[in-house]
Amino acid sequence: MIDLVLTFLKIGAAAYGGGWTIVGIIQTDVVGRGWLSPEAFTDLVAVAQVTPGPVALNAATLVGWRLYGLPGAIAATLSVVAVPLAAAVAISLLSKKALKSGGKLTEALKTGTLGLLAMTLWAFMPQAAASWRTAGLSLLAFGVSAFTKVNPLWVILGSGFLGMIARLVWG
Amino acid sequence: MSDFPTDADTRRAPGFLSVFWLFCAISAVTIGGGYVMVPVIQRAVERKRWLKEADFYDLFAMAQSIPGPLALNSATLTGWKIAGLPGFIAATLGILLPPFAAIILLASIISAAGDHPALRGFLDGAFAVVPGLVAALAFNVIRKRQWTVTRAVMTLAGAAALILAGTWAVPVFFGVVVVARLFEGVGR
Repeated sequence: MIDLVLTFLKIGAAAYGGGWTIVGIIQTDVVGRGWLSPEAFTDLVAVAQVTPGPVALNAATLVGWRLYGLPGAIAATLSVVAVPLAAAVAISLLSKKALKSGGKLTEALKTGTLGLLAMTLWAFMPQAAASWRTAGLSLLAFGVSAFTKVNPLWVILGSGFLGMIARLVWG
Repeated sequence: MSDFPTDADTRRAPGFLSVFWLFCAISAVTIGGGYVMVPVIQRAVERKRWLKEADFYDLFAMAQSIPGPLALNSATLTGWKIAGLPGFIAATLGILLPPFAAIILLASIISAAGDHPALRGFLDGAFAVVPGLVAALAFNVIRKRQWTVTRAVMTLAGAAALILAGTWAVPVFFGVVVVARLFEGVGR
């Protein structure tokens, strides 16, 4: 349980650039340490996506739940938000001026964030490329969300229903 | 429900419960993460006249400069701005509780339903889009960024380092940010 708390504290500290960047780190940590199998983790991400709330938070809650039940879910959720909350308090107490020099730092963070996105892609690519069906759905999702303004939720739910139909029809 | 008739019509800080309920309601009905949630928060606090538009843009810029989900950061900073520490706590609880309850409920249903083929297919389909969505997100950042040779080299090197980093990803991430910050402005 202490390992769980420390891991999610650490992950929360690097949570720049939105939820998806963190999901890759969670996957590397949780699957890399053998806490969950890759298959169990993909299921967990699928559930985290279709639940209200930020996907990284949901994923953290679910990992805690799978490992230690309710106490684990509470511990993982609080750990992953601890650093962001502390940062929010600190930044509210400091003056806004501290941020105005942020141009160069913002660019450096973008570099790091793109790296994290690459890592997330790398971690999930093998499972998506495992069959023509999942690879096709992934390419379709890329096309729709890169070139249209469709809410990602509809992409996720739509793909879920396509997956359900495909499974029921072709097995 | 939050506006009790008061003797003076000044902009006084909203109470703990009204802040809590607002963020709780937003969090419960908004699926799809930060970029969906932030505009909803903005409209809600402006309609209640708790915050001016320009103030919200400042908060949004601050929310992006600290770690953590954008939706959570925007909410907690807004809570602090409109009602101080009680507002901060109210916003935090309001954002965290609905997804927490929903996910525990959903996880229990799914483990009870076991491997029903329809559920299995749905989960596989919902997961299959993840690499596509992540790639689209990266694509949009790449397309909008102002590129220099240094930034391109740093980004490629940073991505390679992070892919190789395994469980060291977090320290490596901060290393990449520090190095990229030091080289920023070089070789323009």
